[in-house]
Amino acid sequence: MRVALERLTKRFGTVTAVQELDLEVRSGEFVALLGPSGCGKTTTLLMIAGIYRPTTGTIVFGDRRVDHLHPKERGIGMVFQSYALYPHMTVSENIAFPLELQRAITRPDREARVREAAAKVQVDELLDRRPAQLSGGQQQRVALARALVKRPDILLLDEPLSNLDARLRHDMRGEIKRLQKEVGITSIFVTHDQLEALSMADRVAVMRDGRLQAYATPDELYAHPVNRFVAGFIGSPPMNFIPADLAARNGDLVARAQDIELPLPPAQRPRGNAAGATVGVRPEHIAIVAPGEGQAAGEVYVVEPVGREQIVDVQVGGRVLRVVAPPGYGGKIGDRIGLRFAPERLHLFDPQSGDRLA
Amino acid sequence: MAAVVGERAPSTNRWLAALPYVVLALATLPILVLYVWLFYSSFFPRVEGFRPVGDFTFDNWRFLWDPLSVPQMRNRPPIVPLTFNTFIFAAMTSAIGLLVSSMAGYAFSRLRFPGRRMFLGSVLLLHSFPSVTLLIALFVVLRALGLYDKLVGVILVQTAFALPFGIWIMKGFFDNIPWDLEMSALVDGAGRFRTWWRIMLPLVKPGLLALAVLLFVEGWNQFLLPFVFMPSGSQQTLSTLVKGILGEGRFVDYGLLTAVGLYYIAPVLILFVLAQDQLMRIYAGGVKG
Repeated sequence: MRVALERLTKRFGTVTAVQELDLEVRSGEFVALLGPSGCGKTTTLLMIAGIYRPTTGTIVFGDRRVDHLHPKERGIGMVFQSYALYPHMTVSENIAFPLELQRAITRPDREARVREAAAKVQVDELLDRRPAQLSGGQQQRVALARALVKRPDILLLDEPLSNLDARLRHDMRGEIKRLQKEVGITSIFVTHDQLEALSMADRVAVMRDGRLQAYATPDELYAHPVNRFVAGFIGSPPMNFIPADLAARNGDLVARAQDIELPLPPAQRPRGNAAGATVGVRPEHIAIVAPGEGQAAGEVYVVEPVGREQIVDVQVGGRVLRVVAPPGYGGKIGDRIGLRFAPERLHLFDPQSGDRLA
Repeated sequence: MAAVVGERAPSTNRWLAALPYVVLALATLPILVLYVWLFYSSFFPRVEGFRPVGDFTFDNWRFLWDPLSVPQMRNRPPIVPLTFNTFIFAAMTSAIGLLVSSMAGYAFSRLRFPGRRMFLGSVLLLHSFPSVTLLIALFVVLRALGLYDKLVGVILVQTAFALPFGIWIMKGFFDNIPWDLEMSALVDGAGRFRTWWRIMLPLVKPGLLALAVLLFVEGWNQFLLPFVFMPSGSQQTLSTLVKGILGEGRFVDYGLLTAVGLYYIAPVLILFVLAQDQLMRIYAGGVKG
């Protein structure tokens, strides 16, 4: 089922948590609301769930306006960050609770559906346990089963992975994505972790201070971030930003900062005639080369091996640029090196507004 | 605690570790003596100071099986109906208090309604009101409602006095339940009332049990209200009987008094022993404003 938010605003007293948010989620799509804490993403989710009433704006499910409806009339399932399993009920009672409230479902039918939902997330062995007797991962699965058992039109997940340890998080990431595609249910999840958003969602809505910053596929967000905030928020390690002057040289345009001179290929030239720009370049798009080669010279500041690659901080003039080097790179602190920037991977942002120039 | 200290530094410090207990024991002694005195006094004909006089006897307890032979009991309602009255009084105040406190506590904890803070504050103010100051006003109101000299009237008054405490206790327990659980119940399709009944109430069960016991005991021990508002015999409670024996003529039969007193507090003591764990949770559960 399609979900459309139109000019959705939520104010708490004088604080505006969500400001004129427009967002459309296509039927069957998996969308992430991504942003730092306090950006309004959870408030948005709770408005979709019907827990919060929007101050202004509308929420549409399919062709039905729902913003005046109670949660129970919206046909949603939700997984909470804390999982919110009912501690006094067994796993099977937890999963059965949403069905218990639907009079049309008979008891044998209910039991069958509880088992079916439990089997789907592999907790059918745990039906008689209580939540306190489950591990975090198992609680998460039970919460998923409970959210899905009434076959809702829309699934909402609030920071679904944040309470799991790193390894389990990775596993559940894949599993939730797979489950979402299997069930084919329109799903919206909230996360502050860009990796989670990129790896799980079909499209990611990046929010900041209650406003939508960008709404695009993970590839698009990574390759063509619309502004400096999105560019810095997406990708790990984060993008390097270099304040630079733009100048013409030999008919070419170059971005010049102290000790660095980057020729801009035609595709990277800003529209209009800006005099300065913030140049963004991702660590994986800078290569370490022999001293004297490349577009900048620097000195290794520190090397952090992270297994499949090494993150190298390089001091260039007065600033430190972060570079990703292959695992075999054997640089030492203090080594003199050159840096080669991939010219077609440069991003230019307006120094004031942060908007993308090219 | 003492064991841990003992392990780290054997023998010498063991005495030091025992010191707090010794101090506390000394401070507690007078209170302890009180109960011990009450206990053995009821089994001797007379007690002079702390010293029992005469032989061990159950004579003081004969009000239980032969009330007519006890002069002080002759023109009073029999002990069994009195006990029953006391029980009804305590149980009803507990039950009504529980029902109202759990609903009001939930509302104060979860709903944002106009005047919420003012209500909370005034509830607390009521709690600090000594009931003695309201006796005349209560008398007038009970008379007007036709509830004077009736058990039900005193039950209502007692419940009203107990409510502020109950409401705050229950609010504290509800405050400790994460919002997520309630939101989850709403999303799962429950309405407000069902959420309260199926999710919230079971989760504050320790609070409910503790409050039930406390209200019951408070009702059981209540003297002033039954004494003032039920003057005419048949609906009296045990506390008024004790007072009656104490105030009968110039000569007070302390043996009888202690026996009746012991009979009167026995159920409370038993209840406390049985419900100890629950009662302690009322503080573990925390009372957060």
